[in-house]
Amino acid sequence: MPVTEQALAPRSQRLERDPRLGRGLLIGVGVLTVAALVVLALVSPGPTLPTRLQDGLTLSISVLIESMPFVVLGVLLSIVVQVWVPPGVIERWMPRRAWARRMVLSLLGMLVPVCECGNVPFARGLMLRGFTVPETLTFLIAAPIVNPIVIITTHQAFGFDDGILIARLLGGFAVANLIGWLYSRHPDPDGLLTERFAASCAFAQEPDALARRDRGRRSLAQFVVELRAVMPALVIGSALAGAVQVLVPRDALLAIGSNPALSIIAMIALAMIVSICSNVDSFFALSFASTFTPGSIVAFLLVGPLVDVKMLALLRTTFRTKVLVGLVVIVVLFAVAVGSVVNLLA
Amino acid sequence: MRESSDTLSDQPRTLRVNGSRLLGVGLAAGLSAVTIALWLTGRLGLYINPESSWFAVSMAIVALAGCAVSFALPRGAEVDHGHDHGDGGHGGHDHHGGHDHDDHERSAHAGVGFWGTAATVTGGILATGVVAAIVLTPPATLSAELAMQRDTGTPPLFQGADTIALASTGDTASFGVGEWASVFATATNPEAFDGDEVTLTGFVTPGDGGFALTRLIITHCVIDAQPASVAIAASGDYATGQWVTVTGTIRDVDGRLALHATSVDEVDQPKDPYEY
Repeated sequence: MPVTEQALAPRSQRLERDPRLGRGLLIGVGVLTVAALVVLALVSPGPTLPTRLQDGLTLSISVLIESMPFVVLGVLLSIVVQVWVPPGVIERWMPRRAWARRMVLSLLGMLVPVCECGNVPFARGLMLRGFTVPETLTFLIAAPIVNPIVIITTHQAFGFDDGILIARLLGGFAVANLIGWLYSRHPDPDGLLTERFAASCAFAQEPDALARRDRGRRSLAQFVVELRAVMPALVIGSALAGAVQVLVPRDALLAIGSNPALSIIAMIALAMIVSICSNVDSFFALSFASTFTPGSIVAFLLVGPLVDVKMLALLRTTFRTKVLVGLVVIVVLFAVAVGSVVNLLA
Repeated sequence: MRESSDTLSDQPRTLRVNGSRLLGVGLAAGLSAVTIALWLTGRLGLYINPESSWFAVSMAIVALAGCAVSFALPRGAEVDHGHDHGDGGHGGHDHHGGHDHDDHERSAHAGVGFWGTAATVTGGILATGVVAAIVLTPPATLSAELAMQRDTGTPPLFQGADTIALASTGDTASFGVGEWASVFATATNPEAFDGDEVTLTGFVTPGDGGFALTRLIITHCVIDAQPASVAIAASGDYATGQWVTVTGTIRDVDGRLALHATSVDEVDQPKDPYEY
């Protein structure tokens, strides 16, 4: 008998004697703990911090409060996809050919109302369900750009000026399928995943794994597991985003000015640093539109949602570092290319 | 491989399961508690646009409920999903034989070596520290220094920008610093605003011929905050970052608008320091 069951034996016996009472008691403890946390946050007995540190923390908090609901929604959807949708239901609707499957997945963002942070747990759910790594990457890269909210806000900000909206949408769709195709050529796609996550996938796809536990309990376990995977990365990514904002002076980037080539590089660097949600980054980019070239705005709008510091930290929970390096290189080169074309045409 | 992990003592395993609960459910609960606390005290607007509070608050409640209920999930039950392979607990695994799963398991153990563990622990401590700081420190607004550092010399462009175009001749009663900053910078008919009496509140940043009245404009959350400022013609010395309420008349001097102050009152920072 392995160690887990030995360790749990006394507890489960205790629970078997009166499972409802034991469970109720534990939930009671949980409710009290959560309530205590809220009270602690209300009282906030800590000191005020030095200005710069406080600014960094304030920025990090705002990113966290903004992205937490999307992460929770992503975790819920991941639970739905993995636990509640019966096997075969999604698969039946998918085309057979690999490239067609990737195209469909890259449009999934139109239906799934999750911002880029929530996409990561949802994508993990897809992979646990049996979708391949390249397919999931295609979804992950496309969804933050090819989704209704982003299309609406980008249109609000730019209209159809300079082809920015069109270039962003087509660019996002194209780069996602390009990445999906490139990684589908990889000899060992499962080797792109962190070992821990690859093992989870292999385990989850065994047929008997699905039938073993009741759904409520599996949902709860999935809730715990997904939060464990995503939360530390989200917190560290947001802290980095906050810190970089206070440490890197923005005028240093802006000083690069309106040189067509350099402006693209500057806006890409800015996009990776500021880590703004793709829902609203167009309004942010709009404030640079008067000083920067349209191509550099497109580059900003392409790179930001896909590979900013916060996203990279989140992606690292699931993919190996070499995949992240590959993604950054491909996305940045692609954005430079699209940006240059837009600059030539505009 | 499995035999060796079975010989691990109970203690580090418990530590790891507890640690992984803290880093998942614990961090989520901390942040959701902060969201709820800010909402209860009406200060959520310090971080995000109040338009999206309903979403943040409802998801925070869902998260807190899930976290509370997760206490009933026996510790270690989540390893049935195989995520916590590193901890040597393979309770749910030994009912099946062979396939290639064992290969995955072996490589999983080879990968989570000393450095992997060290990185997990360091990252975990950092993340916990950040969340603890967020729970413990009182909410704050961005400083005036940051607002100045972010000033790009262009007026902010935000959702409210449309109303400015509509109001190019008429109703400016609802205008805040953000709207007026856009008007000052972009109005094609500045003379139309000449003589308007306005009262505006913001903080002081340095400017020509007096000071600039500044306010941060938020589209979605504080990280996209952009400063907007209005030129104030006034005598007197005001400290940068001091909140003031300025009453005066808009004057068009050679096509450049400025607010000529009749009174400048120092005030406390308002409850809603940002404009949206």
